Amino acid sequence: MKVVHYLNQFFAGKGAEELAGLPPFRIEGAVGPGKGLEQLGLPIALTIACGDDYFGEHEDLALAELLRWLDEERPDALVCGPSFGSGRYGYACGILAREATNRGIPAVCGMDPESPGVIATEGAAYIVPTSTNVAGMRDALPSIASLAARLAAGEELAGPEEEGYLPRGLRRNERAGAVGAARAIDLLLAKLGGDTRTEVAARFDHVPPPPPLRAAGEATLALVTEAGCVPQGNPDGLPTIRAAAWLRYPIAGEHLLREGEYESVHGGFDVTAANRDPNRFVPLDAARLLEEEGRIGRLHDVFYTTTGNGTPVAVSTKFGQEIAEELRDAGVEAVILSGT
Amino acid sequence: MRLELASYPVGTLDLENAVARLEFRDPRIASVDVAVVEPGESVRLTHVLDAVEPHVKPDDPASTFPGALGTLHPAGSGRTNRIAGAAVIACADFPAEERPLHEQESLIDMAGPGAAYSRLSATTNVVLTFQPADGVGNEDFEAAVRETKLRAARDLASLTIGKEPEAVEELDYTLGGTGREGVPAVALLLQLSSLGPLYEIYLYGTTLDGFQPAPVNPLELLDGALTGGEYHWAGLRNSTYSFQNSALVRELLAGNGERFRFAGLVACRGYNQSAKDKERAAMLAAKVAGELGADGVIVTTDAGGNSHTDTMLTVRACERAGIRTVAMVAEMGGLTDHVPEADAIVSVGNAEELVPEWRPERVLGGDVLLDGRRAAEAGPVPVRNYLGAVCQMGDMDLRAVAA
Amino acid sequence: MFVTALPTIATMIGANRVIRGVAITNPFGDPERSPAGELALRRAIVEQALELLETEVEPGTVWEGAQ
Repeated sequence: MKVVHYLNQFFAGKGAEELAGLPPFRIEGAVGPGKGLEQLGLPIALTIACGDDYFGEHEDLALAELLRWLDEERPDALVCGPSFGSGRYGYACGILAREATNRGIPAVCGMDPESPGVIATEGAAYIVPTSTNVAGMRDALPSIASLAARLAAGEELAGPEEEGYLPRGLRRNERAGAVGAARAIDLLLAKLGGDTRTEVAARFDHVPPPPPLRAAGEATLALVTEAGCVPQGNPDGLPTIRAAAWLRYPIAGEHLLREGEYESVHGGFDVTAANRDPNRFVPLDAARLLEEEGRIGRLHDVFYTTTGNGTPVAVSTKFGQEIAEELRDAGVEAVILSGT
Repeated sequence: MRLELASYPVGTLDLENAVARLEFRDPRIASVDVAVVEPGESVRLTHVLDAVEPHVKPDDPASTFPGALGTLHPAGSGRTNRIAGAAVIACADFPAEERPLHEQESLIDMAGPGAAYSRLSATTNVVLTFQPADGVGNEDFEAAVRETKLRAARDLASLTIGKEPEAVEELDYTLGGTGREGVPAVALLLQLSSLGPLYEIYLYGTTLDGFQPAPVNPLELLDGALTGGEYHWAGLRNSTYSFQNSALVRELLAGNGERFRFAGLVACRGYNQSAKDKERAAMLAAKVAGELGADGVIVTTDAGGNSHTDTMLTVRACERAGIRTVAMVAEMGGLTDHVPEADAIVSVGNAEELVPEWRPERVLGGDVLLDGRRAAEAGPVPVRNYLGAVCQMGDMDLRAVAA
Repeated sequence: MFVTALPTIATMIGANRVIRGVAITNPFGDPERSPAGELALRRAIVEQALELLETEVEPGTVWEGAQ
């Protein structure tokens, strides 16, 4: 098995920003993160590298030289990075990985899913998602080493979820074990039973899970709902469907949401049960008790509400961003969001 | 309605003899080459327009394929004899100067890797390769082929008249369906293409141009009321055979009364032309489904391109009317269209994936593919070129997954 | 974190910390119970929510909610 490893000038041990203008250079064997890959059982025959600025400013020249080395070596796989959240380094990794793949050399990158390098690969390489900074090195290398070793051995990889790489935006056919007709009926009956599943998810924006709270007893928590919960009579006219805005209402000093004082105007479900006790969708009473006991540091003074009913994803996304921004500015560290 | 479907397995009949006696007399057709091929033979069929299961109404053969071939008579009741495991395959290339809207290569491989991509790779196929008479235009030639293939299918099936069938299925269905208390009501919104000449599905012999959503008895569909004439991407095409043997209609009839109530089949036009026409058709489809009492619907798709918009708008209209939906679509590398309401989609596969190269010993239908490659050594072929490979009525077990 | 009776939709659109709520119409309650019983249930779900917030998770993690 022959594997080539691409690094930037920093990880190849030359130096930081002051040497980012270095043209491509090569080092026999493993360097830096490559040593980590070797410890994981992935032998590195050759390290190729380039200064980040040089690659960015002279992409054609840099790429030509790097690809010439790849053509000479004909490795079974190429590993790029990991480049974490780095823009220039990630971009270089993505471009090189794409070009290598197009020449029949399978390539594995490691980068933050938001890195411009992801787009640069154009779906033509496997990308192991990493943290934004080098602290994620230890987590990233085993996946990278394992995928690269298997690709170098000519193995076909399973899907991105099973294998842990970022979806490349490609769609591969498989035999489902049942004809589409039977699957359609099963999906419909499941959906009518409240379990909505799909074989084609539209490409929604996925973010990595934020790190956990150290202790909820020290944190400020907010309550947010898309259940259309508003003061009785809906004084601000929140729509029952396709809401175009979100609202916030004060709950400081309140110990529960009382029947007759709050109601749901959500047009997508039967609100009778919830309206008899609005805490069924905004659990203020239970949260207040836990705050008094110290299990919650502090409950935020207002709760946020909108109607999640036929609202386009783009609009919902905007609501989420706006609400999250206000909460962050108010020092809120976590949210309990209720959905219907 | 009550349909008796009598099955005669192809192996129990003297098909060769019946094939030899087929007659073709249509002034629009110069010649018809006839061949019979079996599953497993090293044969590739090219320029396949349609496939038809041989059917005949034994009590009134002249009413077989009503409207499209036979006398007008509602399909779906009485007795129909079918040759099980056989199909008539119509192959033709249209004169180049009037090439249809899209590249439309259509293959059936009787063996090799492509054989897993068509139901018609597993049937005994009577392959008819048509040549147009001099001076006959595409539309006239196509009409002649369409009628002739149905006549051949009927005449072959006439072999069964007076013989004992191996099995008789008694199918019974009344609009609204039946179901025990508490089971959900599901309907099928069946999309049928109407995009102009060479891109038409026929209902009793007429196109669906101007058609608004209306119930059709599923037994009518199994009994030849719908016939093919749509030559868009082969993989996404609904052939006459796929209506006669619709896996979805069969599943819905089988489950009616137990797992759900099959509230009805609503025929809907695909390729409504303007945005307003699309919205109106979607609204009316949801309305008819609502009148049938449907809690949920399966929305199928026919062919590719803007027919997928008809599917998605129909999904949206139903969901807004409180009717839950499952859409069935083929992917062309990804979804052609999508609305957020389409949250339950069956992917019948990625039509763009390549099927590995295969070199058949024999080619029927035409030696040169429409893209100029020789059919016997064409290299890898995309899934979309195999007839019914990604049938958006759910005949196949293919599905696309992320990679 | 997200409490919903439809966790598959939640994870499909990218929610990472999800607890399955009691029902679509009342994720945090159960009208069948006595007021005290229901408050205890609600409290249990909120406590689960706090625990999930304090837990390192894989993307799309779903916990079954208290019943």
